Amino acid sequence: MGILPDEIKPAMQGVIPSHVVTCARDGTPNASAISQVYYVDPDHVALSHQFFNKTKRNIEENPRAAVWVINPETFETWDLELEFVRSETKGPVFDVMEMQIEAIASMVGMKGIFKLRAADIFRVTAVTKTVGERLPLAEIPGLR
Amino acid sequence: MAADPRDPSGLREQIVENQQTIDRLNRDLARKSNEVRVIQQISSEITSTLDLDEVLEIVLRALDGILGFAHSMILLKDLADDVLRVAATRGYAEPGAGARVRMGEGVIGVVGERRRMMRIGNIGASVRYLRSVRARMEAAGEVGPGEASASLPGLPDAQSQLALPLTVKDRLVGVLAVESRTPNAFDELDEVLLRIVGNQAATAIDNARTYQMVERLGRLKRFFSPQLAELIIRGGADDPLKTHRREVAVVFLDLRGFTAFAETSEPEELMGVLREYHAEMGKLILAHEGTLERFTGDGMMIFFNDPLPVPDAAERAVRMAVAMRERAAELAARWHRSGYDLDLGIGVAKGFATIGAIGFEGRWDYGAIGTVTNLAARLCSEAKPGQILISPRLLPELEQILEVEEVGLLAVKGLARPVRALNIVRLRNPA
Repeated sequence: MGILPDEIKPAMQGVIPSHVVTCARDGTPNASAISQVYYVDPDHVALSHQFFNKTKRNIEENPRAAVWVINPETFETWDLELEFVRSETKGPVFDVMEMQIEAIASMVGMKGIFKLRAADIFRVTAVTKTVGERLPLAEIPGLR
Repeated sequence: MAADPRDPSGLREQIVENQQTIDRLNRDLARKSNEVRVIQQISSEITSTLDLDEVLEIVLRALDGILGFAHSMILLKDLADDVLRVAATRGYAEPGAGARVRMGEGVIGVVGERRRMMRIGNIGASVRYLRSVRARMEAAGEVGPGEASASLPGLPDAQSQLALPLTVKDRLVGVLAVESRTPNAFDELDEVLLRIVGNQAATAIDNARTYQMVERLGRLKRFFSPQLAELIIRGGADDPLKTHRREVAVVFLDLRGFTAFAETSEPEELMGVLREYHAEMGKLILAHEGTLERFTGDGMMIFFNDPLPVPDAAERAVRMAVAMRERAAELAARWHRSGYDLDLGIGVAKGFATIGAIGFEGRWDYGAIGTVTNLAARLCSEAKPGQILISPRLLPELEQILEVEEVGLLAVKGLARPVRALNIVRLRNPA
């Protein structure tokens, strides 16, 4: 029995884009929109690596990340805390992600330009379903 | 789990969650029992027919009726080219049959290329995302202006697709795809169900296709040598039944005195003579790789350079004609002893003809139309017993091998001027 429940799966199909938050070595945070968080197994998720960007660099400096994913049917939001494990450039997880990206890329004339470089595998260290209303921004501690 | 101030113990939340779990399990159970029904229904129906269209129809109807996949299609891999062709659809305004998908193009093309199932539930979001990436890259000059995106069969606004390669012993037969306008329409259970259907469909489609090929092969073998018929079926040669224009050498032959013979002889004698004559001429046609276009009683029309192109069509035509004359002379000697007054006359011409399937739905024949066929027929009808009349157009390339004599001028329907006719006296260097 892993940390991720089955009911989180609809939130990991990329229907509603997710956000990932990382920190640089000096603690500077970075939030970035990502198209999909892939379900790997009950303890792991994968993020696609297409371009070298700030998220990728931060992960190299500080292997922890936070993402949220949203179930498009119920709009339940799940907060996940992640720890980077490894980058995969082959294997079943990579293949599934790469096939999808290639299919979409071919639809917009980006075949060969937009492609998966690696599947970055993360272990999920915490998962929280935020049921009901979210706190108004003003009530979130530390945010003014 | 975050505590709700109105329900500190989380009881209400727990009840809701339990109910959701029960609902989900019930749904899963209902679909599991569907799984069994699918296996039973499809396997019994699908094995009851060898008709390809019927097989495809059964599969798509079952996907819709039993499993609720409202939009589905089956694409078959082209036997010759590396493309997938839509063979059957269900749930679309336009049937779309015949549309092509290149390997690696879109969800279906990638599934065909990789031979792996794909389930995707966010096509709209992904395409929008990639378009924006593309726009940014174009603005930065990193990529050129986008090539036109391929137009793919199916729903123009599909959000979810589940596509499965249909394989038989690692050979790709086609792709089975279902789609929906709803995002995330398919889940892992759908994958399982589609895989069950797909495995049965692949085998049934492959069997039906093989059967269709054998049938078609039988039809083609009526016109072409067995080797050529197989070549056509395997896709190594163009479909000869598609109308096309080509330069051919045409040989016409028939028996002088046959009409009178038919009127005076017994049917058994008549059929015996015809069988012998057809059998002997048939051997020579095969030996020279000619295409027998038609029999009409004692008449035959054979041409060369179609469907199999040959560099020496005219030479083959006259060599076959000479061989036929020799063989017919032997037969005629026997016929004469039995009192049958029969002799062979042959006409040979060369020119462009329109070739392909001629006829109407339900009765098609492979045939050639053109002045060249009229000319060959006319030369044949003018030929005296034992003559092979050829048109002068054959001479330039065959002068080296032919010894000919002038016969005179012939009026030919469709030609303004009379045509010179030449009789082949003999081959200078018999093969």
